[in-house]
Amino acid sequence: MTRRSLVIVPAEAADKIRASAGAWGTLGMVRAPSDDLFVITAYQAGKSGAVLPVRTASGQERHRRVEEGAYEASWHRADAVTHWAHYSLSARPDHCMPLEQFRRLIPTAPHPHNDAVLVLTHAPGVTDNPDLDRLPEFAAWRVTREGAEPFDLAVEPRAYGLGQLVGHWPVEALSARAVLVVGVGSIGGEVASSLAGYGVGQLDLLDPDRLLWHNTVRHVLGEGDIGRFKTDALRDMLTTRWPSLDARSHVKDVVRDADHVRLLLQEVDAVVCAADGIAPRRVVSHLARRAGRDAILTSVLEDGAFGEVLRLRRAPDEGCLLCRRADLYGTGRMDPERALERGYGDGDPHRPMTAVGPDLHLMGDLAAKVTVASLLQRQGHNEQRLPGEQAIVALRPQPGFEAPFDLGRAGQVQWHPATPPRPDCITCSTP
Amino acid sequence: MKVNTAFDIYQTTVNAPPAQVAEAKARRDLFKDAFGTEGDIKLVRASGSLARGTQHDPIKDVDTILIYKPETKPEWGQPGDSAEDALDYVRDRVRGLLGTYGSYKPNQVRLARPGDHAVKCFLDDPDAESPFTVDAMPALRQPDGSLLVPEIHSHGWIRTNPGYLIDLALDAHAQGRIYAPLVRVLKRWRRRTGTHVKSLLIEVLALECLPKTGERSAALAAFFAAAAVRVNDPICDPAGLCGPIQPDLDVVALRTALEEAADIAANARQHERWDQHDVAVRLWGDIFGPDFPKPPNGGGSGGGPEGGPGGVPIDIPKRPVRDINQG
Repeated sequence: MTRRSLVIVPAEAADKIRASAGAWGTLGMVRAPSDDLFVITAYQAGKSGAVLPVRTASGQERHRRVEEGAYEASWHRADAVTHWAHYSLSARPDHCMPLEQFRRLIPTAPHPHNDAVLVLTHAPGVTDNPDLDRLPEFAAWRVTREGAEPFDLAVEPRAYGLGQLVGHWPVEALSARAVLVVGVGSIGGEVASSLAGYGVGQLDLLDPDRLLWHNTVRHVLGEGDIGRFKTDALRDMLTTRWPSLDARSHVKDVVRDADHVRLLLQEVDAVVCAADGIAPRRVVSHLARRAGRDAILTSVLEDGAFGEVLRLRRAPDEGCLLCRRADLYGTGRMDPERALERGYGDGDPHRPMTAVGPDLHLMGDLAAKVTVASLLQRQGHNEQRLPGEQAIVALRPQPGFEAPFDLGRAGQVQWHPATPPRPDCITCSTP
Repeated sequence: MKVNTAFDIYQTTVNAPPAQVAEAKARRDLFKDAFGTEGDIKLVRASGSLARGTQHDPIKDVDTILIYKPETKPEWGQPGDSAEDALDYVRDRVRGLLGTYGSYKPNQVRLARPGDHAVKCFLDDPDAESPFTVDAMPALRQPDGSLLVPEIHSHGWIRTNPGYLIDLALDAHAQGRIYAPLVRVLKRWRRRTGTHVKSLLIEVLALECLPKTGERSAALAAFFAAAAVRVNDPICDPAGLCGPIQPDLDVVALRTALEEAADIAANARQHERWDQHDVAVRLWGDIFGPDFPKPPNGGGSGGGPEGGPGGVPIDIPKRPVRDINQG
């Protein structure tokens, strides 16, 4: 497949052509030679109509900087037969329609003489006829003395993005949901990106830190955001990518600002904790259970050897984080962090680790999937039920660990059920 | 057999026979009319599942609320003996109106026995296997629209709002006309959970978790999935007055039953989408039990001739994944 030129028709230009009472007109274009791309920038009805600039198609703003209106094309009303010919020729490279035949179909089309001209045709009839649904409403042709051959064309849709998935994915259901993401480092940043991609309508991002140079090797944010608070930069990145997303930045520490988090939990449907260290996870576990919100905790262990996603729910037979860990500590399958011996919120919980970014993103994506599945099951989405409450993922598995961290092959995933609350647990007892 | 046809047939099994419903309504109306003649009564209101349209076979009782004019009962509503006094008063009036020498219609009520909140009135022989009763509950309307009703075991009166639940149920049913019949189906299903589940608990769970529009099979599949999570938290009186409906509910047992039903329902829905209705019907039968209609060929192959007769268990067919990769 060779590289082929493309003409981009902004939505406003397409609307003007559709609405025109005339049968033809001209179009101003810019060209981006490096991308072999033409972008329509101006519209004119007939020969004597006013030349009207059209709003640039989304994502094409960069082309405004090159020479404006240096190129010209023409547009013409056509019938379905013309577009059927376009459809047929598109499947037959190096074939073209003889010029005389093309000009019989499009009498208003200009003669190319010894040059090549770009012609756009609009066949309104094809949108009204379900039998013609394979035919494009708009088509582009490169017309020379030899004839007219199909030219690639893309019309900017009026609506795109998550709205395209309506009917295939519960976009409306998720747009009404809110999730708090605690810790937007390498994993949490990916959690937030993934939740936005799933269509969650509101994200509250909570993290006290700024993005610094050492973060960029693993973080979804890049060098352009160094020095900014992670939550601010991530909010801006996500809302640029997903304009309908309501992303909110909270430059807060989940341990020191637990009172703020307690209030936030009343406003959200679920919380994901991707923060470093055990203290933030303990706080999230306790506050979420008391608020009756699902908490999804994700992290990597043993310097990125294993990833873990825990779902904590307020079920009578499912314990909080400490209850679940107590079972592992008590049986010698897991050692508590030494930071636990320090006072509440004391010391530096950050443990530098050597996990590679994509492994962390894999855990972030899985945590987001678990979160969205939890939200959707509550709304009756039968296919979103999980196989367990704890997922262990082998990222760079090391032999010799106790179960459930005894996975031996990279990419292996094991799900486990929750363990019950301890009888004396403050978190799990009824408030 | 189409899935919808199977549900239509099953609904007739679950629903109380029309004659039984008519009889229940007639007996309820008897109380409504009889107490409507009383000077101290402000309003007689129907309550319970019959009023909500969610009654199922068999109808054992109907509920009526006797709302009294507060000025005629100044001593009611106070802690202490007034709760018992109110129930005794209602018992006496039931006898006076509908008892052996009843002034409104004699020989209607054979026995009137005060319970915790209401007077249980036996219109059939009390010693019969499952005698039909009308529960008559005295109440005082409160400024916020709730009712104050007696509670013998606590020696006092409690606030309740059965009308709120009735309104919710009627609204839910009006949305897609599937709510009330499916609640009856779910009330029947609760007996297959292996644990005691109150009828009202299932109904409130349905209010929250059962889609109110669309196909019945889709709504039920969604219900089982959503309810399997919802039961982790206490299920309370929707009016916010009476607290948890069943504090001693075995959550784990009910959740397990809901999860199992959700698994089978998901499979049934998939076979329905593949137009293998007989298989889907057989799977719904696995959820709802032997009373659910059986496909003519046993439901093993989506209508093919190789199914076992009369619902003999046979393998559910699986389908190969198409090797059409999407990136």
